[in-house]
Amino acid sequence: MMNKEELAPHVKEIARVLEGRVKEEDIERDLDNYLNVYRMSLEASRRHIVRKYGGDPNALTKGERKTLAQLGLNEGSVDILARVMSSTTREITVSGTPKTIQSGVLADDAGTTVKFTVWDLTKADLQPNTNYLIRYAYTREWNGQPELHLGNRVVVEERPDDEVVVPEGISIPSSGGRSAPQTVKVSGLQDNMYNVTLTGRILSLKNREVDTPSGKKMMFSGILGDETGRVEFTAWEDFNLREGEVVTISNGYVKGWKGIPRLSFGEKAEVTRPKIDFPSAEELSKEAVRTIEDIERTGGAFDVSVHGTIVDIKKGTGLIFRCPECNRVVLKGVCQVHGKVQQIPDLRVRAILDDGFAAMTVVMRKEVSENLTGITLKEALEEARETMDIETISQRFEERLLAKPVMVRGTVMSDDYGLSMTASEARFVTLDVKSEAEALLRKIEVI
Amino acid sequence: MKAREPAWRVFASEFNASTLKIKGEGEKAPSYVVTPLGAMVNRLFIVGILTDIQNLGTEQEPYWRATVSDGTDRFYIYAGKYATEASSALAKIEPPSFVAVIGKSRTYSSDEGKFYVSVRAEKVLSVDEGIKDNWLLETIRATLRRIDAMEEALQMETPSVQSLVNLGFPASLADGVVRAVEHYQNPDVNRFRGTVLEALEQLLPDRAFDLPLPQDLPSPEEIYDSDIDGEDIDDGEKEEIVLKLIEKLDVNKKGAPLSELIKESAKLGIEEDELEEINNSLLDKGLIYEPTIGRMKRI
Repeated sequence: MMNKEELAPHVKEIARVLEGRVKEEDIERDLDNYLNVYRMSLEASRRHIVRKYGGDPNALTKGERKTLAQLGLNEGSVDILARVMSSTTREITVSGTPKTIQSGVLADDAGTTVKFTVWDLTKADLQPNTNYLIRYAYTREWNGQPELHLGNRVVVEERPDDEVVVPEGISIPSSGGRSAPQTVKVSGLQDNMYNVTLTGRILSLKNREVDTPSGKKMMFSGILGDETGRVEFTAWEDFNLREGEVVTISNGYVKGWKGIPRLSFGEKAEVTRPKIDFPSAEELSKEAVRTIEDIERTGGAFDVSVHGTIVDIKKGTGLIFRCPECNRVVLKGVCQVHGKVQQIPDLRVRAILDDGFAAMTVVMRKEVSENLTGITLKEALEEARETMDIETISQRFEERLLAKPVMVRGTVMSDDYGLSMTASEARFVTLDVKSEAEALLRKIEVI
Repeated sequence: MKAREPAWRVFASEFNASTLKIKGEGEKAPSYVVTPLGAMVNRLFIVGILTDIQNLGTEQEPYWRATVSDGTDRFYIYAGKYATEASSALAKIEPPSFVAVIGKSRTYSSDEGKFYVSVRAEKVLSVDEGIKDNWLLETIRATLRRIDAMEEALQMETPSVQSLVNLGFPASLADGVVRAVEHYQNPDVNRFRGTVLEALEQLLPDRAFDLPLPQDLPSPEEIYDSDIDGEDIDDGEKEEIVLKLIEKLDVNKKGAPLSELIKESAKLGIEEDELEEINNSLLDKGLIYEPTIGRMKRI
């Protein structure tokens, strides 16, 4: 059942179509009646009410009506009512042809602001200090915030001044302005961050020549570490970096691959060498422990250690066979690309690691699987030959792994199914339960 | 991103106290049991003692109901033809033994509107005591974290997911806590502190504990203020005494523990076998019922 608050935007929308001929209270009562007593759909109820009072149902918006605060990062079609706080036009070049676009900032009753861009000025031309009902707009994520785009499907309608009253004293971000520099630790890095300042020790470094449109260029890459973890980096300029030194990089940015953040810095960046005490390279190469929920927040992580319990073993665990050409897993000696092949046996674990608050997939290659389960590929093959069944190996893997607490180390990426780690190390964890329990008890007794 | 539902670590006493079910929108949307401390349980990971197993189905098509006790209460675990793996694993385990269960929360409401929760098993396996201890420790930690989140939320004028996330709680927990505050109206956080202490006691059996629950128990004098001489009271009066005792001992609304009832009745001069008779009589009269084995509750 919809409550008064949820009804409100629809009541306003119906009142708009009826051009103020009907009082909002009456519309609200009708809508409540249709929806909650007669249980008609929202869409049908809205059309019925408009028709009942002699309005045109087709004038109702079909996109979803939202307040600015409700806007998601990736809305397909959305309607909003807002006031233009600023607006400028400029010329850009799109695939060789000049194009005029408009951008600025919108605000609403609640004082929420959002940046907007108009891509087709024949469809919309938003003037400052004017209220508009904008229909069929869409949003895209920019730096973690939704930005409203007015494309060629958009319909805008100027609305009276009293319909949107923006509270006084709210801060309006300047359009297109850069965010203030943010100082972060490695574990706080995530895709799409920019103007990042970070201090770390260079743990490894290599350079290579790449071809760019402006000729050959030297590019530097490696691993940078601080006390929260390690991250891969790419420097597009020669900053005279040396392995082992501590550097502060300002105005860097983060480009991720499948959620794994990678720090990049180029000609706009600055590299300084602070004189500070910093953990040694050896210390910085130790396990960097993070929780799954924390990695979920940043979308991925390079070379981290995660603790959890194995709660499921997925298909493709145990003895598998690969194509010698492409390394794909083959079924009955037939590769989906290379046909019948001389298959190569391999061991693998695909498991779900879960810490009670979040879960991720962990994939272990042969050496890691052998180490953890204590079952070698050789033994697995012998057993499979004896039983004529490769399933028994996966069952034995499951018996050894399920419900066991483990610590895994590797790089975590994300896709549509959540996080997954390719593990470089895995071990069972045995806790000193008694002393941990004593510590917890002391903590509770203090309270 | 459609991430896998995490397997919550929740004690049976918290899980069984749940009376809120949430169904997501859309056809394949998962449903959740929201516990009084705000765990939004779709999947859960349990380790405890398999105490009982029954086949409610047929020989050909077994439908198992097992009870797994974690020392705070018992989980009801079901496995049938849609969980062949769990089902055949369960059939092979002899109670009592330590088991781990990974499963999904299920709910059932009786015609009278009573709400029951249970677990549909995905995986069942025998484990050793080390795994059980590890689970207890993990579940204690997780419960304390929920208690923290709940107490923070109860201090807020209008608890919101965002403000809890800002305090460092995971979004899934923050969501559950906000829903629990609304549904359970001031959830009894201290009761679950007691659960945590019960679990710690299992890990540290040699340590003398100051459990907060017994402290709160009324003394026999408070229950029945006149001087009672066992010999002088007739049966009707004894029933009345036991009834009052059950009510008083029911500090956590799960029913009065039988062990406490036996102890307290003895102080009032009612011996154990006499108590059993009185309990049976009260059960017959429909004045009390047994919500779980070993607990009596007034209707």
